[in-house]
Amino acid sequence: MNKSISNKIALGLLWAAAACTVAVLGALLLYVFWNGIRVISPTFIFTWPHGVNSEGGIWPTIVSTIYVTALAMLISTPIAVLAAVYLAEYAYQGRVVSAIRFAADSLASVPSIVMGLFGFALFVETVGLGLSMISAALALSLLMLPIIMRATEEAIRSVPKYMRWGSYGLGATKWQTVSRIVLPAATPRIITGIVLAMGRAVGETAVVLYTMGQAISLPVTPLDSGRPMTVHLYLLAVEGINLPAAFGTALLLIVMILGFNLSARWILSRYRKV
Amino acid sequence: MSDQSTSPARGTLQLVSRSTYVREWLLKSLFFACAFMFVLAVALIFVFVGFKAWPIVTDYGLGKFITGTVWSSGSNSFGILPLLVGSLLVTLGALGLGTPLAVGTAVFLSEVASPRMRAVVRPAVELLAGIPSVVYGFFGIILLRSIVSRFTGTLGFGAFTAWVVLAIMIVPTIAALSEDALRSIPEGIREASFAMGATEWQTIYKVVVPAAKIGIIDAIILGMGRAIGETMAVLMVVGNAPVFPKGIFAPLSTMTSQIVMDLPYAVGLHRTALFAMAAMLFIFSMLLVATVRLLSRLRD
Amino acid sequence: MHLAARYVALALVLLGLVLSSGCSGGAHPSNKVIVSGSTTILPIAEQTAEAFMKANPDTQVLVSGLGSSAGIEAVSAGTADIGTSSRDLKPEEAKLGLVDTPIAYDGIAVIVSPDNPVTGLSTAQLRDIFTGKIKNWREVGGDDRAIDLVNRDEASGTREAFSKIVMGKTAHFAPSAAVLPGTGQVRDVVARAAGAIGYISAGFVEPRFTNVRVKALAVDGVAPTKKSIATNQYPIGRTLHFFTKGQPTGLTKRYIDYVLSSAVQKGVVVDAGFIPIAEGGTR
Repeated sequence: MNKSISNKIALGLLWAAAACTVAVLGALLLYVFWNGIRVISPTFIFTWPHGVNSEGGIWPTIVSTIYVTALAMLISTPIAVLAAVYLAEYAYQGRVVSAIRFAADSLASVPSIVMGLFGFALFVETVGLGLSMISAALALSLLMLPIIMRATEEAIRSVPKYMRWGSYGLGATKWQTVSRIVLPAATPRIITGIVLAMGRAVGETAVVLYTMGQAISLPVTPLDSGRPMTVHLYLLAVEGINLPAAFGTALLLIVMILGFNLSARWILSRYRKV
Repeated sequence: MSDQSTSPARGTLQLVSRSTYVREWLLKSLFFACAFMFVLAVALIFVFVGFKAWPIVTDYGLGKFITGTVWSSGSNSFGILPLLVGSLLVTLGALGLGTPLAVGTAVFLSEVASPRMRAVVRPAVELLAGIPSVVYGFFGIILLRSIVSRFTGTLGFGAFTAWVVLAIMIVPTIAALSEDALRSIPEGIREASFAMGATEWQTIYKVVVPAAKIGIIDAIILGMGRAIGETMAVLMVVGNAPVFPKGIFAPLSTMTSQIVMDLPYAVGLHRTALFAMAAMLFIFSMLLVATVRLLSRLRD
Repeated sequence: MHLAARYVALALVLLGLVLSSGCSGGAHPSNKVIVSGSTTILPIAEQTAEAFMKANPDTQVLVSGLGSSAGIEAVSAGTADIGTSSRDLKPEEAKLGLVDTPIAYDGIAVIVSPDNPVTGLSTAQLRDIFTGKIKNWREVGGDDRAIDLVNRDEASGTREAFSKIVMGKTAHFAPSAAVLPGTGQVRDVVARAAGAIGYISAGFVEPRFTNVRVKALAVDGVAPTKKSIATNQYPIGRTLHFFTKGQPTGLTKRYIDYVLSSAVQKGVVVDAGFIPIAEGGTR
């Protein structure tokens, strides 16, 4: 057949592929949104679940999710940022740097159950922290490290050289240059990376299930345990009884993660305009 | 980046005081320590999981472990072949279903879509890549499973349901990365092709896609990594029967789902077997990463 | 002060908080009770926990349900104060030093979809079905349809109890059965699939929280009613246990006493479909 017809057919197929993708994903979101929106109310967000099937709200799960994510962010950010500083400013290409990058990529692709198992065996049992926020935060921070580091490194590299030269020209040491010139200039991108990493942490299930447990409670100290929203959704889905609450939880989860990702983009776009 | 604060070469002017020099050196070491922590973390995971998994080699036998066909903790039999097959079956099926869709979408976005359409669809696809797997699993268990059950008269768990759920999950990832690869091909190649009278489709499949081949393969490999390591979504729709499934609508199990099911109560050799599976998954994901890095080096 | 220095100070403060909270810990502080185990007992545990915490404001009762075996493992390892179980201890668990407080009786109902015409099976037929020997419903008087087995996970006390009574020592569950991790899920799946068969606690057959219906089969001619379970007529019954390491003391004891109190037994326990410990026969 002539090339014009085959061209049209092929392009049609491509349109179909894209439309299919968008349609399926859109349908999924609409499904969750439609069923979940009727459940969302101030009561749902701010009260506790009670009764056999978690009727009521999901407040402690929201707090648990935010608490553990914030804790993980506090743990992973300094390490990741300083590591990126090393890679971008001090290191010369060589085997050690290669190894570090390989390690970072590996950490990013660790299957979540392996991280959950590792976290359980190391933090919960061997170190003895028990099922707690801190165990989960430590495991989550391992997953967040590569994301933040990559973003920070890119951010640092994109700071224009003339800014550094100006600083050295004035007699600043390397650290003064990095801390007073480079990092502040790179901050918006770094924050983007942190926010994206937090979005990932919020969505983790297997990792937190085995390091935090599933007992519903309002965590106060890092040694307390709790049930994050992802685990709550999993348990509700598997029981199959209180579906409205499950949809509500799923919707809030999606909103939270989309919120993180959208703010990351927004920060980036604000920064570019500057 | 040149390094102004390393040791002053002998015979040159010392520009900073000794205390500053020491401080700079300490800071540099601190940063190096932070960077090296990545390596330490990976090594720690490897060593710790490997150590807990090692008894499977000494007390059970690696060959028996990998090729055994009966997984039953009650009878102390831990052959993981059905689980391995299950993981492969589920992953490959998901890839088969999802890759054409994903690459097609990527090609569409990169070559066919108007800039306005792209500005809407591409961020949407990226955002969707961030939806947690438990939501996909929820979708699978609540909606998909009942539909499959009604249409096939079976329970609705099985490879087919897992394929659909996993495929939906990995499409955004593969699509976004493939599109990046396609967009990085310079425009000139396409223009040269058009100048010779090729249609858009001919340009795409003869020129652009082959040029972006490695990047697309990278994307597929990463999608595969995500699929094989996927736990929650698979767990919720696969049925958890540790056998070779008799059909695509029969319950089966994967390595990841088996670990999740058994971990809370596994003791002794059973737990060791779970760690061994986790070690295998970890090694496999590292191999995928190494492959991607190797391919990227080939490209550059 | 530098951005960096400020950050370091903040991090140190938080680290200090973390470490100091660690010092006060140790095992669990005495105003916390950790209850872990059976999904069958989970509703009772959650409801009594809620009521107990309301009546005793400074306490915390943390409940989770990962399966009876997981609960027994947790209480013997010290990570839980009470291990709930819907099965008796296995012989190899007898040395763990666990003390048993029975809290209720329960029957295990065999359920099928309401569309299934079969109304009863014998124990022998049940065994053959669950080992996979009987594969089609028509072999037991039903439609010509393949039997879809729904099993519980290995941590489940319900599974253990069912296995002990119906399967006996020699028969094993067919490995091709779907393995589901929760009572609710078993019921949901069986309700929607005409060829499915599963088993759940008798108290869950008629739920008040959902509109999916299942049908409970009569076993050896006896339907699982409260009376038939309490009088031992229904062949598949079991005791629900609270296990503690050593005799229960302190807050744990108060919680257990609360669960055993007549108000709870006649209230929550009966509402959940179980039989109060006082009324059951010997098992």
